[in-house]
Parts: sequence; structure tokens; C-alpha cells
Amino acid sequence: MKRWRRLLLHGGALLSTLGLLSGVFFFLGHIVLKGMPSLSLALIFGDTSPLKALLFTQRVFNGLFPAICGTLCLVLLSVVLALPAGILTGVWLSHFGSGRAKALLSLCIDTLAGVPSIVVGLFGFSFAILLHKISHGTVGPSLGIAALTLSVLVLPGIVRNTQLALAAIPRETHLAVSAMGATPVQAIVRVYLPMASPGIFRGAILAMGRCAEDTAAIMLTGVVATAGAPYALFGRFEALPFAIFTIASEYSGPEELAQGYGASLILLLLCALLFGLSALIASRFHPDTP
Amino acid sequence: MIKARRRPHEWIGEGAAATAALITFALTLAIFGFMGWLAMPLLQGETLTTLFTSVWRPDRGQFGILPMAWGTLAVALPATLLAFPLSLGFACFATHLAPRRLRKTLKGLAGLMTGIPTVVYGFSAVFLLVPLIREMAGRGSGFSIIAAVLVLALLISPTMILILISAFEAVPQPWQRCFDSMGATPEETVWHLLFPLATRSMVGALLLGLGRAIGDTLIALMLAGNAVLAPTDPFGPARTLTSHIGLVMAADVESLEFRSVFACGLLLYLLIFVLTLLVRYLTRRPAA
Amino acid sequence: MKLTFNDLSFRYKTHTILQAVSLEVPKGSLTAITGPSGEGKSTLLSIVNHLWRPDEGARVSGDAMARFDSGVINLLSPHLDLPSLRRKAAMVFQNPVPLPFSIFKNVALPLAFAGIRKKEEVHRRVERALIRSGLWNEVKDRLHDRAALLSGGQQQRLALARALVTDPEILLLDEPTSSLDATSREHIEAQLLTLKTHCTLLLVSHSEAQVERLSDRIYQLKAGNLKRMR
Repeated sequence: MKRWRRLLLHGGALLSTLGLLSGVFFFLGHIVLKGMPSLSLALIFGDTSPLKALLFTQRVFNGLFPAICGTLCLVLLSVVLALPAGILTGVWLSHFGSGRAKALLSLCIDTLAGVPSIVVGLFGFSFAILLHKISHGTVGPSLGIAALTLSVLVLPGIVRNTQLALAAIPRETHLAVSAMGATPVQAIVRVYLPMASPGIFRGAILAMGRCAEDTAAIMLTGVVATAGAPYALFGRFEALPFAIFTIASEYSGPEELAQGYGASLILLLLCALLFGLSALIASRFHPDTP
Repeated sequence: MIKARRRPHEWIGEGAAATAALITFALTLAIFGFMGWLAMPLLQGETLTTLFTSVWRPDRGQFGILPMAWGTLAVALPATLLAFPLSLGFACFATHLAPRRLRKTLKGLAGLMTGIPTVVYGFSAVFLLVPLIREMAGRGSGFSIIAAVLVLALLISPTMILILISAFEAVPQPWQRCFDSMGATPEETVWHLLFPLATRSMVGALLLGLGRAIGDTLIALMLAGNAVLAPTDPFGPARTLTSHIGLVMAADVESLEFRSVFACGLLLYLLIFVLTLLVRYLTRRPAA
Repeated sequence: MKLTFNDLSFRYKTHTILQAVSLEVPKGSLTAITGPSGEGKSTLLSIVNHLWRPDEGARVSGDAMARFDSGVINLLSPHLDLPSLRRKAAMVFQNPVPLPFSIFKNVALPLAFAGIRKKEEVHRRVERALIRSGLWNEVKDRLHDRAALLSGGQQQRLALARALVTDPEILLLDEPTSSLDATSREHIEAQLLTLKTHCTLLLVSHSEAQVERLSDRIYQLKAGNLKRMR
């Protein structure tokens, strides 16, 4: 290879690496620099006393507390909804499914993984409208519907992670467990799933990160700018990413803007925490993967 | 003795797994079904023809979604074309060209980048990139196609990088050592071994990146300006299919304007389905 | 348990692995099958506990009967209850395959599969299996350590205990010592000789010396043909 072509390739690779990393640092550095000063208890609780807010005896009006609570509820609810279905689907794909049915479901999961979150949100919305008609107006876009929508969004990720973790179990183990007189279901429940649990857990944490950051899907399924802390499964709610989105488009003054930066930083830290955790699990159990 | 018998836990367990699989399958179809069902009133008769025009005048019963389709193309395509070479460079650097000590860190950084919330990028760009573009262009508000393209490129590259890295690492080690033993420089290994062997995966990464760019809502919604115009000027605004859905949803539920949103959803779903099929075709394992 | 094979042939896709072989394993004996590696000795073993899968391109013909205490069964029948069969015909592999659980749980797992849940009984049988495999004295104080912490030889004896815990009538041993050092090998060999009072043993080994030392009956498998040597 000619010298100038080698230099071009090397230089190009170096420049694109630096370009991407500096782009990330450019945008995130801005958030960190502007967000740091506004991080305080007042950012979260506003004028309310933290203790009263945490005990839900007093409503927080100008802090992020309701949005943070909303996001936490959303994350927990949707992962709890998505995990059983996702794990069982993964088990079916790697142990029971065969032939065309397996290929078809695999295609479905790839498709579902690519469907834009706003389209999934639209699905959640139309589902809520349907429920609204059936239930004569008691159920509509709400926390429960949003969690359901997000669980559809993260389902394919959980399925794929379960499948990968199960596929990593060596054939030797399968033979040994069969030779011990285990029926297929006994082997899955007592041996394979415990062995795959780090990988499945990692998938669940990635799903939590996705639920915490997604805005488009909840935008259509019941999130609002002011609702207070989540009060009912079928009530409107606030969420951190939506709060950031609203502030970016309709902020009324420097105070709200500072709150936006603070909220962005909190969300960023939350996602970094979840991702760090999943990377830790990955390196703990599979030292080869980054 | 030892006759085959079905233990109850066997069919309960297998039944539960099969039920979950069926639910997942049904969900995928249901999303398509709901879009089609709710878009139906628009897909019949005259309105179908107005759907594929460029006139969006809901007050006059004209629901052309073509400007939005062009908007999606104008934002997603340049973003993918910008992000792909950058991601390719990053992946080459992180797997073969960087000093060994750096490689693991770079791979880890790429993984972390996938976790950065979209809305945080959007928020940062509204106050950092948009004013910059306004000044550079000397006209308009700065909320423009180019702003969306730049941030979107940054958003989709980690996904592409991770696919490319795993494709490069799937190239058998012995072949790479063989190249080393022949005295090939790392650049030559990349050019003559990795690129030819990973071509299909590279196209797959490109298409998956395109899919993510098409599907992204927040960046376009926050940065692209959202005017219903056929996009012509990179410093001008555009509205994508996704942000169109987000913007119209506030309106009243029985109007035809509202129905057009489901036509957008249907179009997006089909686009993604075709991309998925293509990616699967490209990255399927060659028959043994 | 007594095992009788008659005119048994085994084909895998287009390869013939066993060509009309006949074999008799008397009750309470240690019968060995020896021969070059890759000649289908393991296949012969896998017929006894039905560990081969008919849907993977394998075709069997002939007779393979096993006389258990509770009656005679046809090992080639497609209607066998495999879990019960595998509890009666337990297997030890070349590699110990310790599962990522505690020592105790590794041995107790087959009992759980068999539906035995009474705590005292599980404890009693795990202890008995560990004593029979000669591992009890080394692990009795650390039953709740992870099995992966044991040495290679100890792991293989753990696998032996795991096979013995369901009181099998025949023990299938697939090169049980070939991945071990000399000391561990002797340890296991000594243990195998004491086991003959509890069950029938069928050993596959490529080591002629080992086979000479241990066996009552020796067969050699070469090019698909089985020949009685002793």
C-alpha cells in the first residue's frame, strides 16, 4: 500500500474518532458546565421542604420532584411489564421454537426493534383510545398506558439479550444436564436461566435506560407538563425527559432555563449510572467484552 | 416401565413460553394493524390521492404528507451519509489503528455514547448549535435542517460503531495474525482483509443507522424548525414524518387531520420493515 | 442392571459408526470399551441413556435391551421417559462440567429433577453420594462453596457424586480420567472399583493400561466393529 494512502486511512480514522468524541464533549460539556451551578435541593423540591415532599404530604410546584418520581415509576413499571414477556419469548426462541415459526418471530423482533418510538407511542395512544371507549371514559392516556407503551419499546432488547445469554451456555452443559435426568423445563428453570441471569440482568438495565430517556413514546401517551407526583396508575404524570423538552421550547426566563440544564444533567447522570452498571456486569462476567 | 409421560410442569412451562412468544408476535402485527385501521378513512377514495400531494391544508381538507416524507429524507439521509464514514473511521481506529492501551477505552466510550439521552443532545443543541448556525447563515432562525443533521449524525453513530466493531472482531484471529506475519501494516490489514470481509455488515450498519435516523423524533422536532415546506435550503426548516406525528397529536381526535398521522405511522412502519428485511438479507449467515 | 446389544448399527447421516455390534454387560461388572479415539465409543454409551437425538440425522437399527430391577426395556424405543431412564443410567463425562452453583447444589440437582424435596432425604443422599465418590472428607466443611473452586480431580469426583446421587443401576463413564493428572486418576480408579457393589459400570477409555487394571470384561471398538478381548 502506498505511503500516502496509508497516511490517509490512518489520518481519516484518527480524525473521525476525534471528531465524534469532540462533538459529544461539545454538547455534553455544555450541559455539565451550565447544569452544575443549578444542581441543588431547590432544583428538585422548589420551595417545598424536602421531607414533606418525600412523604407526599405537600405538593412540589416549581421543582423537578414530580418529574423525577414520574420517570422512576415509569421505568420500574415498564421493566416489570416487559421482563416476563421478554425473558419467556427469549426462552421460547432458544429452546422450543423451530423452523418457520422461529424465523417468523425472529423477523418480528427485528422489526419491532426498529419501529420508531413515536410510532410505538401512536400505537399506545390508539390502544388508550380503544380502552377509553370500552371503559366509558375511565381509562385514557396515563401512567399505566405509557408504561405499557415503553414496555413494547424495550421488549425486543430484552428478548435478544436473553437469547444471547442462553446461547452462550456451552453444549457440554446441555449434555451434562440432560444426562442428570432433567426435563427441558427443569433444565431451563433450574440451570440455564440462573446461568444466563447476568446477561438477562444487563438487558433489563439497558431497557431501564431506554425507558428513562425516551420522550417520543410518552409524549403521546399521557405525559403532561404539570401533574404533580404520580397519583394513580391511570392518571396523568410528569417525566424528566418531557420536562426538558418542554423547557427547551417554551421557557419563560433564565430561572426555568437553569432548571432545564439541571434536569438535563440529572437525566444524563441517571443514564450514565445505568449504563455504567450494565458495563460493570458485562465486564464482571464476560471479561472480553468492553 | 419407563414409559414416556407428560409431566404437568412441562406443558405449563412450554405453554408459558409459547404464550409470551405469541404475545410478542401479536404486538408486532397489532402496531401495523392499529395504524392501518385508524388510517383507513384516509386510505379510501379521493383522500388517498390528496395524501400523496404536497399540499398540507387541513382546513381545506388537503392532507398531503409528501412534504413530511421529503423532510424525513432531507434530514435522515445526509445525517446517515455523514455519520457512516465517521463511524467507520472510529471503528477502524478502535479495533486496529489506535495504540493497544487506548482500544478498550475507545470501545467502552462508544458503548457509553449509545446511552446518552436524545433529549439532552436536543436541549444542548438548541442553546449551543442553533445560535451558531443562525450567525453563520446570517438569516433565518437557526432551527434548520443542517442543525438536525449534525446532531442526528452524532446520535446514530454509536449504533453504527458498535455494529462495525463486532463485524471487524468477527473476522477470524488466525487470518489477522497471518496478515501480521506477512508484514502487513495495520492499515493494510484493515484495507485488504477487514473491508472486503465485512462489506455486508458495513452496508447493514449503514441501513440500521438510516433506520434510526428515520425513526428519531426528538432531534427533528427540537431543531429542524417544523415548517411544512418542501425542503430546499439546508439552512431552512423542515418537518419530518415523526415530528409531524408529534405536532398534530394535540389536535382533536375525530378529524381527518388526525387520521393523516396514522398514515405517517404506517409509512414509517413499512419503511422500517423494508430496511429490516434488507439488513437481515445482508447479514444472514452464508449457507454452510 | 444387565445390558444386551444385538446386531446394533448406528449411522450418522452417511457415516456408519457402529456396524452390527453385539455386546453384553453383566450385572455388577465393570465392562470396558477401548479403541482409537473418534471411533464411536461415546456413541455406544449414549445409546444406553438415549443422549443421542433422532432428529439430528442419526439412524439406529438392531436390538438394545436393558434389564433393570423393575423390568426389561428396549433402549431404542421412541416412547421412553428419558428423565427416568437417565436417573437409572447416569453418566460421567470426560470434562467434569461443574455448574455455577455451590458444591451441595451441584450434587443435589438431580434429586430436584427427580422431584425429591424432603430436606433430610436430600441431605442424606448427597452425603452418601459424596462418600461413595470419595470426596466427602475434602468438602464436608465447605459444601456451600462454589463448585468451580475445586481442583480438576475434585471436580471430576463431584461429577461422579452427581451421577451417583439418584442411585443409578448403571454408571456410564466416558473417558472419566483422561483430563486428569496421575494422582487424581488413581483416586478415581480406586473409587470405581468400590462402586461395583452398588451398580453396573460401563467404561469407555482409550487407555489400554487403565482398562487392563480395572475391567472384568473388555471390548475393543475399531472401524465400527466391536470385538470381545477378555
